[in-house]
Amino acid sequence: MKSVQKVEQVKHLPLKLGEIARYVIVPGDPNRVPLIAESLENPIHQGQEREFNAYKGTYKGIEVSVVSTGIGCPSTAIAVEELCHIGAEVLIRIGTSGSVDKTAKKGDIFIATAAVRDDGTSKQYIPIEFPAVASHSVVESLIKASEDLNIQTKVGICQSKDSFFGEMEPERMPVAPYLDYKWSAWQKGGVGASEMEAATLFTLSHIKKIQAGAILAIETSDKKIVHDMTKIVLESITKMEKSRNVK
Amino acid sequence: MSNNKKHETKGGLLDDNLQYHVQLKKGDVSDFVIMPGDPGRVEFIAEHFDSATLVADNREYKTMTGKYKGRSVSVTSTGIGCPSTAIAVEELANVGAKTFVRLGTSGAMQEYTRIGEKVIATGAVRFEGTSVQYMPIEFPAVASHDMVSSLINSAKNANLSYHVGIVQSKDSFYGQHNPEGMPIAAELLQKWDAWVKGGVLCSEMEAATLFVVGSYRKVRTGAVLLVAGDQARQESLSKEDYKENMTESINMILESSLEIEEGS
Repeated sequence: MKSVQKVEQVKHLPLKLGEIARYVIVPGDPNRVPLIAESLENPIHQGQEREFNAYKGTYKGIEVSVVSTGIGCPSTAIAVEELCHIGAEVLIRIGTSGSVDKTAKKGDIFIATAAVRDDGTSKQYIPIEFPAVASHSVVESLIKASEDLNIQTKVGICQSKDSFFGEMEPERMPVAPYLDYKWSAWQKGGVGASEMEAATLFTLSHIKKIQAGAILAIETSDKKIVHDMTKIVLESITKMEKSRNVK
Repeated sequence: MSNNKKHETKGGLLDDNLQYHVQLKKGDVSDFVIMPGDPGRVEFIAEHFDSATLVADNREYKTMTGKYKGRSVSVTSTGIGCPSTAIAVEELANVGAKTFVRLGTSGAMQEYTRIGEKVIATGAVRFEGTSVQYMPIEFPAVASHDMVSSLINSAKNANLSYHVGIVQSKDSFYGQHNPEGMPIAAELLQKWDAWVKGGVLCSEMEAATLFVVGSYRKVRTGAVLLVAGDQARQESLSKEDYKENMTESINMILESSLEIEEGS
């Protein structure tokens, strides 16, 4: 069988084939990458290009990478495509978010089961009727890990938007009535968190046949919360690795 | 529990107690409701309960309520399609139903989804007109995480062959089966190809609205779709195989009901 030769070097990420772990933590902020990597054993900084900062290490013997996506779905799609190309198979976003229907409040940790596709990028992959759903096994592992660690979390749907200030100050936008109308629908529909990357991450995961999930801090980027979310994600990775070995 | 007789004067709309279309009132249904499309399948499903009573039968909505291993359970048919499904979910939620699990048949969409297999839906493609009258199209039609987990557990325990993932909900049955004959053939074919590339497992007609209305009404939802046909391979389940596979699917849902705390 003829196999297509994979390109060794990808265009944007500071990484080559074989330089990525199966499990990749994908925060938005490149400056949060070293903070997350602190929880790994022997973290190595692999480089940074633009908003894409990459570390690799191990956790309880399992290889784990941390690579930032930058803000928004356009750069997230580039990161996801290139990560998949070089061999990543499970992507878990650690991010910050706003609250929407107030079931999740400031300081809460939120595990996303799916995302509202209020972004432009995922539509350039698949029609809008397609649901941006996280992988069930990733969500399940995150929930179980948080229970084991005794860290409270909320579970639900998040919204992924493109315009940060459209959420913060909708009244000053030319499309203010449209933003208000949608926002109130998300509130009534039970959307818990608002962020900017999950919809494209989840949508692409189905197209690229990988697994994806997201864990979000509500209205804070406090170091302690980032640390808690990192612990949950790393423990969830040990669970996924364990069930993979059983299979 | 209510009487078995057909209601002679239909209540509803202006009547707080009796729901207009499903003809049910509080106390008639369990918190856990299995929802097939076909009213003709209601009795067959209820045969798998330990006990069951017919509580209502109006239009395409037929309801039986009973017990399974000590847990209260109901079955209500939705009729074909999302419009009648939305009515059923709304009215059942009004009278105390809190968990809705659709049991339906579907057509295979992937090379690896084969007839006789069970698809546990995590989400649904909203290729239908009802859910957009509830929520903008960007909102994901997603099943409840804990319901999906319970269904996976019971499928595993029964050693069934199953898949977990996204399904497609459409409004036009013949648009799927004969897309070329439709005036909007190009859109139907192009989108179908996109769903296949997106890993959509099978095609059916009710899940998207069940999930979206469920999110809005804050109730638990799930769906088990038995793959009954395969267009690409020109295969469909024989009558005997259909019955056997349906029984497996019904038992799988009934067992999962035991993991859902009664009334929650």
